[in-house]
Amino acid sequence: MSRHLARALVLLVTAVVAITACTNGSSSSSNQSFSGTTIRVVTFTGPQIAEPLQRRAPDFEKATGAKVQIITVPFSDLYQKLLTDFATKTNSYDATVFDPQWMGDYVPSGYLEDLTNRVQADSALQWNDIAPFFRDFSATFKGKVYTIPLDGDFQMVYYRKDLFTKDGIAPPATWDDYIAAAKHFQGKDLNGDGKADYGSCLAMKRSAQSYWAWISIASAYLQSQGTKQGAFFNTDTMQPLTSSAGAAAALDVYKQLSKIGPPEQLNQDVGDSRGLFVTGRCALSLDWGDIGPLAVDPTQSKVQDKVGAIILPGSKKVFDRSTNQLADCNATLCPYATNGVNHAPFAAFGGWSGAINKAAPAKVKDAAFAFLSYMSQPAQSSQDVTIGKTGFNPYRTSHFTNQGPWLSSGMSASAASDYLGAIQSSLQSPNMVLDLRIPQTAFYQQTALDTALAQFLAGELSQSQTMAQITDQWNKKTDEIGRTAQLDAYRSSLSITK
Amino acid sequence: MSSLASSRASRMVSATWRPFGARLDRSAGAVFILPAVVVILGFSVFPLLASLYVSLSRLKFVAGGVELKFVGFDNYAKLLFGIDRPHLLGVAGPLTAIGIAVLVAIYGLFAYLLFRYARGPNRTIGGLIGRVITTAIAGALVWLTVNTILTSGRPGTLVVTLVYVAVDVSVQYLLGLGLALLVVQHLPGRRFFRVVFLLPMMITPVGVAYLFRMLVDTSKGPLYPLYAHFGLTDVSWVINPWGARLAVMVGDVWQWTPFIFIVLLAAIETLPHELTEAAVVDGATRWQVFWRITFPQILPATTTVVLIRIIEGFKIVDLPNVLTNGGPGTATESLTLHAYTIWRALDIGGSAAVAYILLIVVTFVGVSYVNLFRRRATAAV
Amino acid sequence: MAIMGRRHGSVSVNTVSPPAMVLSYIALLAWTFVVLFPLYWLAITALKTPLEVNDGPFYIPWRDFKPTLDSWHYIFFDLREDTFRPYFNTVVVGLTSTAITVLLGSMAAYGLVRMRYQVGAGAIGSFVVGVAIAVVVVVAGGPWPLGLVAGFGVFVLLLQTVARRLRRGVGNDDIAFWMISQRMLPPVATIIPIYIFFQQLQLLDTWGALIISYTAAHLPIVVWLMRDYFQSVPVELEESAAIDGASPYRVFRSIVLPLAVPGLVATFLFVLVFAWNEYLIALFLTSANAQTLPLTVAAQNATRGPQWWYMSVLILIMIGPVIAMAIALERYIARGLLVGAVKG
Repeated sequence: MSRHLARALVLLVTAVVAITACTNGSSSSSNQSFSGTTIRVVTFTGPQIAEPLQRRAPDFEKATGAKVQIITVPFSDLYQKLLTDFATKTNSYDATVFDPQWMGDYVPSGYLEDLTNRVQADSALQWNDIAPFFRDFSATFKGKVYTIPLDGDFQMVYYRKDLFTKDGIAPPATWDDYIAAAKHFQGKDLNGDGKADYGSCLAMKRSAQSYWAWISIASAYLQSQGTKQGAFFNTDTMQPLTSSAGAAAALDVYKQLSKIGPPEQLNQDVGDSRGLFVTGRCALSLDWGDIGPLAVDPTQSKVQDKVGAIILPGSKKVFDRSTNQLADCNATLCPYATNGVNHAPFAAFGGWSGAINKAAPAKVKDAAFAFLSYMSQPAQSSQDVTIGKTGFNPYRTSHFTNQGPWLSSGMSASAASDYLGAIQSSLQSPNMVLDLRIPQTAFYQQTALDTALAQFLAGELSQSQTMAQITDQWNKKTDEIGRTAQLDAYRSSLSITK
Repeated sequence: MSSLASSRASRMVSATWRPFGARLDRSAGAVFILPAVVVILGFSVFPLLASLYVSLSRLKFVAGGVELKFVGFDNYAKLLFGIDRPHLLGVAGPLTAIGIAVLVAIYGLFAYLLFRYARGPNRTIGGLIGRVITTAIAGALVWLTVNTILTSGRPGTLVVTLVYVAVDVSVQYLLGLGLALLVVQHLPGRRFFRVVFLLPMMITPVGVAYLFRMLVDTSKGPLYPLYAHFGLTDVSWVINPWGARLAVMVGDVWQWTPFIFIVLLAAIETLPHELTEAAVVDGATRWQVFWRITFPQILPATTTVVLIRIIEGFKIVDLPNVLTNGGPGTATESLTLHAYTIWRALDIGGSAAVAYILLIVVTFVGVSYVNLFRRRATAAV
Repeated sequence: MAIMGRRHGSVSVNTVSPPAMVLSYIALLAWTFVVLFPLYWLAITALKTPLEVNDGPFYIPWRDFKPTLDSWHYIFFDLREDTFRPYFNTVVVGLTSTAITVLLGSMAAYGLVRMRYQVGAGAIGSFVVGVAIAVVVVVAGGPWPLGLVAGFGVFVLLLQTVARRLRRGVGNDDIAFWMISQRMLPPVATIIPIYIFFQQLQLLDTWGALIISYTAAHLPIVVWLMRDYFQSVPVELEESAAIDGASPYRVFRSIVLPLAVPGLVATFLFVLVFAWNEYLIALFLTSANAQTLPLTVAAQNATRGPQWWYMSVLILIMIGPVIAMAIALERYIARGLLVGAVKG
């Protein structure tokens, strides 16, 4: 039996089961009647993320009677709006599609509904189809499920396949390879318009996405033994890893990369770096999954069918926490290395997920769960992830098995298998890095790490000063909140059971 | 019209009205001003008290919600003496020759002014004490500025904000005044200019910031051919600290010159013309007419609009935020942006502390300004 | 009394000699270019595809690039409600709050110019004590309406008794300075308390919350600006009207306001611009229903980086009505005083 047929049968059976199961009021989705209920869902202004929600809301309403109101706020202020709403018990939102990193602040305060039971009971959701990383790490906190993943976020490297093949350069496997390749292409004309172009374009602007890029680099040096090892703190002492030799190596790489790119690179965010890459002005870039679909859009891109994607480059040397030094990879130190290179794909940001406000009325919570489940189910999500505008990137095993939607979206067969292959190898890596999600993550990353990185790149701080500043600020904040409590939260986020 | 005449006149007016004794008239004073006072007071009391309390506390997430824990002056201590000090005050470098020269010149000026007041005819103890305090604070700010800018150190957000305000308001005023004077003339088409010059102010500040971000982009912005011509395509002016600050200042000047322009224009247009016409008849040059007649008469409007721009200018946030997010490093970060950045990461206590430090500095500047300029300006008219 | 209008009289400092005219035009046109070029760039960005925006500067439609209406289509048709609703909210909130602010502010400014106020130390003290009582009640756990009533009661009580003894205090200038000092604290510090304030009043996400906030926030500016304009109105006119039996309200309405029209119009335009374009308060006090356009503009910077093409369209449609209003009202600024020789 072909895989397509098998999947179709599974769906059919599931649908039948769902229809027959709805009479006993279980929380399986879609066909239960929610007429008269309005669900207020808040997210940031689209089209990314908001557009598919808005597009499918009418279908959901037709199927279940629940009215879905999508409220959007500017992206940079979503966190504050949500928090203020929860903390002041205004409760003007019933559900949200947000960044699961924020769970570290919202769950201990009791703002989010525990979804563990609902998720287990909902067969239409096909929870086990979701990639293990998103299922077991991204959607959970202290062992319980609080979100439904709608999007798979992690960073990969994109490169100009045509140029690399022409010059006989292999796609970079380590960050040193990346630097060498970038240097090779810097200054050449890469898109035939007569202007000199750039080797690598990264988003190094302050208060934008710079710290994720750096963590993507640092993870290769800092985490080698699986997700539970973590890449931010020592899991026994809560000592930051930002003063380690691994962090120093990553800072070196980052500083070098800041010089092999556009002159404005320190002031460019991901919109700029992406724009430059798809107009053909960069040979390499680091980004989430968005470049894949963007590259085939003729209104945006000049590099259709010239783009390759690979898993984040790794490192042959990693930081050994027992000896406090960088050491070459071997079987014990890097059990998951491929060809002697430790790769640590970084699930930056975590992937937009749906969560439910605990203080919402019970019926509304049920309806909200049904809607979020509906959005995540393969029937809907496998289409949405192929449309670049939705901002949804693949996160389910089923998203990869059928290349049909990808091909019809305009990708060539080789581009599709390249892109999907890179995503798949990242998703299946046992050494994937979970983004930080302890209380006050925003301080650790946006205030301390991001500011110090910006100052480092601008030359305001030396390398040792940068590491010292980050470490001091992190330690001070940890002590302020309570070292034991933070350590506990960090270990819980990594699902480390004592 | 001297102020003596008009104050006498206004007292006469009140005196004239009293004989007409309607209770309505006597309470007219209250009726005129109370609505505004009540609205402002009612709306401002709670936020002021609450934010003051917040600046003395810290936000914590606890089981069941959030709580504000009182920590006294800890937030302020962190900013002024502790771990955030380089961010707020900057890093001082060793004094250079230029720095010393500037310090000597400015302190000399302060000393001269104090001395002159102390020997002058109108001195009072209260006035003297006030002036000494003002000089001390001003001296401290000058010290901070010189030590972080004219040396190898780097300025913190406080000094950067002071620089923004000083440069922006001066340039805006000169430009606004010049444009107003040009447009007042009987030139055909001046209505067109009047409307066009208003445009920059009408764009939402966030929009202006994004607009300027497009403009300063050296690779895809419209000024690219200019850069290419000068061979500057490999250089970016927003990754150089002073280049970035210049970009912010240019944006601010572009945006707010219309404000000064229109206020001064309205002021000049409402001036009675006999004085100027009489002067012209008597053979005065245009410069003399401006300097001796027009300018003194618009001095109250000038001082008002400059005060408003100073107060608003201290709160500059959208341009540095959108143009460079405060970068490169912390070079363009203003005090309000500093507060906003840490507020976004939930340190609302620290953010309120920065805001109150800003309030103290602006109050100091405002009070000094009013005492130095405004009183004299309204007295002179 | 000879009334000399500007156009009478053959000699005027405002007639310009040819060389001065040429120089003036050069200066004016230079600044016009500085003002209009960024706006032109904005306008053509609204007609470009993302590729054309990212791929390097293109200047002239049809010659350098093919203009398209895709962004306009997206904003008006794809977003539809999400564009029209904020637009409507912006217009309503902007105009209403500005009208109220200019009215109340001018009245207060006139009072500060023509009348002498003395707010006694006693009155201020009573107020402070009243506030303290209210705070104590709330901190001790009572409901805030109770605290408010208690505080107000104490205030009135003290005012009638103790305050009469202490009359010396602050005058007009101090009141004016207090007003403008309300603008010194950056909104980021007070935005959460303001949110809670309106949440308790159950006014979140309504026009009312925005109108009240903007009125309170912009009153100081109106007061300060109008003070100068009212001061330049010759007081003799008001005196003679008062002698003829007019009440202060009549004088204000019939004599002072018409003469201060240029200032009024300028101030109206400003406050409108401020209210139209305000971001932070609108962000926090609104949710689904009362959102205004600046939020939509800022929201175009999302996870994909700033979407210049949509943003340009939004900015253009935002400034449209304001420019129209400025053009319509501009002639009132130019009218000037038609009164000259009052001195007879």
